[in-house]
Order: sequence, then structure tokens, then C-alpha cells
Amino acid sequence: MKRKIFFSIYFVAMFAIVLNGCKEDSDTTRPVINLIEPAEDDVLQIGNSNGIHFEAEFSDDEALASYKVDIHPDFDGHTHTRSSDETVDFEFNQSWPISGRNAPIHHHEIKIPENATPGDYHLMVYCTDVAGNESYIAVDVVLSHEAGNHHE
Amino acid sequence: MHIRYLPVMLIVVPVFCLQMQAQEADTLKTLTLDEFVVTGSYRKSIDGSTSQAVGLADKTFLTEHFTGNLVQTLGHMAGIRSMDIGAGFAKPMIRGLGFNRIVVAENGVKQEGQQWGADHGLEIDAFNVERVVVRKGPSSLLYGSDAMGGVIEILPLPAPLQNQWYGEVALLGKSVNETLGGSLMLGVKRNAWHVKTRFSEQHFGDYRIPADTVVYLTQQMPIDGRKLKNTAGFERDASLLAEYQQSGYHAGYAVSNAFQKVGFFPGAHGVPDVSRLQDDGDSRNIDMPFSKVNHLKATTSQQLTSDDRVIRWDLGFQQNHREEWSLFHTHYATQPLPAKDPDKELAFSLSTASSALRVEWSSGEFWKHTAGWDVQYQRNSIAGYSFLLPEYKRFTTGGLWLSVFRPNHQLTVSGGVRYDFGTMNISGYQDIYLEKYLRERNYPEPVVEANKWRSYPIDRRFGDVSGSLGVVLRMSDFYVMKANIGRSFRLPGANELASNGVHHGAFRHEQGDGSLRSEHGWQLDAGFIFEREGIRLTCSPFFSWFENYIYLRPTGEWSVLPHAGQVYRYSGAEAVFAGSEAELSLALLRCLTYRLSGEYVYTHNVDEHTPMAFSPPASMRNALVFNPLKGLQLVAEMQTVATQNRIARNEERTRGANLVHLSASVHLPYADVRLSAHNLLNTAYFNHLSFYRRVEIPEPGRDIQLSIKIPFELRN
Repeated sequence: MKRKIFFSIYFVAMFAIVLNGCKEDSDTTRPVINLIEPAEDDVLQIGNSNGIHFEAEFSDDEALASYKVDIHPDFDGHTHTRSSDETVDFEFNQSWPISGRNAPIHHHEIKIPENATPGDYHLMVYCTDVAGNESYIAVDVVLSHEAGNHHE
Repeated sequence: MHIRYLPVMLIVVPVFCLQMQAQEADTLKTLTLDEFVVTGSYRKSIDGSTSQAVGLADKTFLTEHFTGNLVQTLGHMAGIRSMDIGAGFAKPMIRGLGFNRIVVAENGVKQEGQQWGADHGLEIDAFNVERVVVRKGPSSLLYGSDAMGGVIEILPLPAPLQNQWYGEVALLGKSVNETLGGSLMLGVKRNAWHVKTRFSEQHFGDYRIPADTVVYLTQQMPIDGRKLKNTAGFERDASLLAEYQQSGYHAGYAVSNAFQKVGFFPGAHGVPDVSRLQDDGDSRNIDMPFSKVNHLKATTSQQLTSDDRVIRWDLGFQQNHREEWSLFHTHYATQPLPAKDPDKELAFSLSTASSALRVEWSSGEFWKHTAGWDVQYQRNSIAGYSFLLPEYKRFTTGGLWLSVFRPNHQLTVSGGVRYDFGTMNISGYQDIYLEKYLRERNYPEPVVEANKWRSYPIDRRFGDVSGSLGVVLRMSDFYVMKANIGRSFRLPGANELASNGVHHGAFRHEQGDGSLRSEHGWQLDAGFIFEREGIRLTCSPFFSWFENYIYLRPTGEWSVLPHAGQVYRYSGAEAVFAGSEAELSLALLRCLTYRLSGEYVYTHNVDEHTPMAFSPPASMRNALVFNPLKGLQLVAEMQTVATQNRIARNEERTRGANLVHLSASVHLPYADVRLSAHNLLNTAYFNHLSFYRRVEIPEPGRDIQLSIKIPFELRN
């Protein structure tokens, strides 16, 4: 019986020490991305000098750090094989710093050049907070010479 | 301390009359006992022989929990978890440590595959496993680098006593993925010789999940027919064992080959795309992406035993060849379609040669000493149109000394030290397509320079001391108390030193750090075992402190590689792991036993003030075992897994679950039949440690399993 008591005390004491010594005050909550434009299956106009209308809201429980937009072709399902004609696959990869808990973003900085290959693309938006928590979302978009269906 | 140095008794296994012996053949005492008593004694002998927490999976346990997958079977032991890759394959975790932090050893030789990879299972034939001893906690003293979390030792049963032909036919069926499996074993014992061969095969289709859709990255993905597309696979294993035993000399030769091929759910590779999830009308085909792996292993052991000395020498050669296939895809416009095997994305071929020498002798009445010398050499070569892990050569050698002092039956004190020396030589790798890609995009020269080297050439040397000191107190016939302190280490792996790329499965940019130091840990554990008629209670708390635990740290830096978020870099941190296992077995009536087992692991990254990734949630199993007739056993079990809210950055919280399992086994003179229902209520739940957890895919649904084993023998 003594031994049992000894063991229980040892056990409880060990956990007490561990749990006290290791306070978890650190942030493991991911930021939230609310992508408003472009939306799923939106058509983006090739060669539009005004740029794509990009609108999103980023939020985090602590502090935002950065977001990144990555656009790449999705021509054959997801095989990423190249087109063979004179046009060039459009690829976009750029990040911007953001801060605070909420960051509404609206810009026209993503421009699709005239020689971009039309077709299906993936548009991915990544966001990190200061602690390194990361979120991302992906939407399918179509690049076309026709006017896009999104508003300016 | 090693199990094979234990003086062990013979065992009479039903029907077979197989003999269970230790390597110290000449010190054996022949006993003929009832099956259950012997099992208990063997367990007791293990309990009392090592200061570490050990778990024994004997033939009874392995039969009762047989699933065709060794890791999932061992997952029924407290403290051991299976990290599943779908329904077919899995890798083990002990007390929250997995991957390269635990060792699996078969016939005394450490299994070397691609343990670091999250989607790589263990390449061992489950049908061919007859006895397993699991050492929980630091075992670097015996096994060197990697054994920080524990060791799973797969041990063969000894040769039969009498001259005979014998064999076994085993059949396995599972409903969840329509598995059909079978195994044939044949053995012959002729005087000094014993030869045994086995062939096993398992085929399975796409597995069923209790859900119609899964939501991944805000995309709803339909699961046609509730079957997870392209998760079918098969496994084909063959082995041959030959032994020669003449007075004090024993020689063993074993060759085995394990082949596995399994498809990956296409939705788990890259951006979810509903078009790739459409039912192809065939639930048993293996389409791309898939992986295949072949593990060839040849081992020999030579042992000389005299009155006061045992010399044993184990030699092993293994080749693990793994390939991942996925339709050719590239983000770099200049990368051409490879002329040969255009869809081979990654291939790793790891060859390992190893040698272990042990000399054991007694001095005086109370002391026993062991000296050992281990050498291991590894070479990894790569192929495929993608890059993840570089080519490397690794050499390690270590010497150990272990002494055991046993002044009486009550007290055993054991301690030992070991020194290991290792070199790691990693080849550089430059990606010309990536370089062009970055130049075309006008990245500044330093960025191009830093990224075109997918792997830097690295030449490192390591020297590490490990050791342990432990005490076992047999307080009475019923109580055993243990305490152990150990220091263990692990050399950084090639992936941790030099990987650099986006893995299609992990889907993030993982980067090695060539300057990483070895991982070191101090581990303290205790054990309490109480056993008497009708009751067995064990409790084994542990506490581990790592001064340099290597983990993937999110850096907050955006990767320049296409299709990647931030860079995750292997970094060292101070870390704490603590917890306990507890098991109770209580005979309520003569034919009714209650079994309870539970475990908890607390993990903490001291530098980041967060838990560690892959922390196993607390779990508990409550079971009622009913033996109404001799040879008939019915088991009803409730498995409770707690919610895991303690997560590392960029990990998902996982809800808990209650699962009900039922099984019935019949032991007849000519056959063992077992029928079981796993997840009887078809509960949709997630396994925090599963490869498919990240993509929000629930675990397999209800699974009815039927296993039949028919042993036979022919004596003359």
C-alpha cells in the first residue's frame, strides 16, 4: 500500500512539475482568408492593363504578417504540362506584408500580359501570421481574351 | 539486458510443439507447462529482466489482434500507436516518438527503409511475425542512433524439438477494402538442421469511409460510393530461414523480400481537383499517383555458447528501393519529359550493410558483462524527375559495454555506456530547370544561387555518448518495481540535413539545415507491476528531455518555389515528452476478464512554447473477454480516443471518438478461426496521426475481418 501511495505521489508530482514548467502561451491559431475576388470559376481578362481586381480580407487572433498570391496553369487536370504555341504560360508569385488583426485588401497589381496562354489556372492565396501559422486557399480561374465577369 | 541473453524456458505452443528458447541454448531448462502459465512466466521473466518498460506480443496476442498489418496489431499495446497510411500500411510510434526515432529490428538486424517519410509504411510480412518484444523508452545503448523512442524487436520462434515436417496455411479477408490475403508456411526439422519458408500475399481495393464528401481547402470533394479512390494496393512477401544447431554452435541464415504497391488518393496530392476524383468504375486498380517499395534483406547469425560465455555475430544486408509515380508534371518550362520512365517522380534506393558483435560472460556469481561492437554502412541513390532527398553515404560504428549485477532474486542493477562515431557524406544537387525558372522571373542573384542548390554537398562527422542505468526490484512474488535513466542520441537524417523541395504528399517546402547537431535526450522512466492470481496491474510513467530535438519549423519566409507556401526548415529545439501507460487485467469470473489500458503523452516545445507535431491523443481501451468454453473467446472492446487540442503550428486539432470492436475466436485442434468487427458502429472519426488526416479524410469505416489459420505437421 505504501508503495502505491509513493507511486501516486511521484506520478502526480511529476505532472505538476511538467505542466507548470511548460506554459503554452504561444499562438497556434491560423489566420483566416476571405477571398472575395476573384471567386471560383471567374474569368480573368488577358491583357487588361487595369489589372485583376483582387479583393480579400485577412484576419488573425494575434497579428498578421504577410500574404502571397500564386497563379499557375492547370491545363490538363493537374499535370502542369506546357502549351506548345507562341503564348507563354502565365505565372504569378508575389507577396505583400500586412499587419494587425484585420487587413482588408483591394488592389489591381496583378496584370496578365497580352501573350499569356488562355486556359484554366489555379489561383492560390497564402497568408501567415507573425508566429508562423499559415492558411491557404485555392480557386480555379480561367484566363481568356474575353472580358472577365468580375467587377472593377 | 537484451532479450536474447535471457535465460528463458521452453514453451509448448498448442498443436505445434514449437520450442521457445533463448540464444543461450545450453543454459536452458526444459519445462512442459500449460500454455497460459508459460506465457505468464515468459512475460514475468521479461518484466524482471530489464529496467525498461517492455511490452510482449506473444503468439496469443498476435493471433487475437491479427489484422494483416503488424503495426496496427501492435497498436493494441499501451504506449504504441500506428500512424496509418490508409487502410493497408502503417508505421509505428512509441510514446509520441516515431519516424527515425524508433527502431524496428528483425532477427537482431535493424530494419532500414525510408523511415523519415510520412507516407512510407513498414515493410515487414505480418504473417511471418511470431513474437514481438517492444522496449519503450531510450534504447540507444543497445541499438545506437535512432533508438531514442524505443525498439520493436521481432523475434523468431525457436526450431521444433523433434524431427518433422510442419506448416501453416493462413487466410485473411477484410470487408473495409475487400482484402484477400493468404500465407503458406512450410518447415522441416532434420537433426541439426531447421529450414522454414513462407510466402504471403495480400490484395486490397479502395477502402470505405463513413462519409459521402470530404471538405478540403474549402472545396467539397465527393467520395463516390463512399470508397476512397485509388487507395487500393497489394503486398507480396517471401522469406526463407535456415538454422543449424550443434552442441554449442548455432548458425542462422535468413533471406526475405517484401514488396508493396499502393495508390494514393489523388485528392491528397496537390490542389484538390474534383475531376480527378470521379469514379473510374474499378475499385481494385492502382492508378497514379502510387508508390511501390521493395525491401530485400539477408541476415546471418553465428553463435558460440560455452559454460560461461556467449559470442554472437550478426551480419546483415538490406536494400530498400522505393518509387513514387505520378503523371509527369513540372513548373519549369525548360524541363523536358524524361526519355525513360517519364512518370517516375521520385525514387530512393537505400542499401545498408551492418554487423553486430556481442560477447557476453559471467564473472563471479553476481556479475554478467556484455561487450559489443556495431558497424553500419549505408548508401542512398536517387532517381526521378522531381527532387526531394539527396544521394548520401553514411557510416556509423559504436562500441558498448553493459554490466548487470544481480546479487539476489530481489535486486537487479544494470548499467552501460556506448560511444558511437558517424560520418555523413551528402552529394550536392543543382536544379538547372529551377535556376532558369528563377532567372526568367528576375529573382535577384542571391535568391537564385540559394535555391538552385536543391542540396548542398555536406561532409559531417558526429560522435555521441549514450548510456543507461537501471534498477529492478522484485519486492515480492507479486510486485516488481523498476526505474531507469537513459541518455540517447540520433544522428540527423539526410532529409534533415539536406532536403530541399516540395514533396507532393507533404505539399510544403521542406528545407534541411546542414549545420544541425545530433539530437540528444535524457529519459527517465519508472515501472510498477503487480501480478497475482486473477489480476495484473502495470503502470509506467516516463519523462524525457531533449536538448536538441529536430523538427520542421515554419520560418515565415515565403518559398520561391512554385506551389509552396512558407519554408519549413529543420531546426533544433529544447523539448519535453512526458506521460504514462497503465494496464489492468482483472478476472471477474472464471470465464470473464476485464481489461483496461490507457495512455497519455504530453509534448512541449520549450523554445516555441507550443506542443510538438504528431502528439498522440490520450486514449483508453475497455474490454470484456469472455471464455465460455475451452478454445472459444469472445471480446467486446470500447476504444476511447480523446480530442487532441494540443497541436503544433499548422497542424489541425482532431476530435475524439468512441469506437466499438467485437471479436470471436475459436481455437480448434486443426484450425484457429477469428471473426471480428472493427468500428462496428461505422463511426466517422479522424486519426490525429494518420497520413490522410491533413486532407480531412476520416478513418476507414466498419471492417469485418475473418482470419483462418490451419497448422499441420508430419512426424516420422
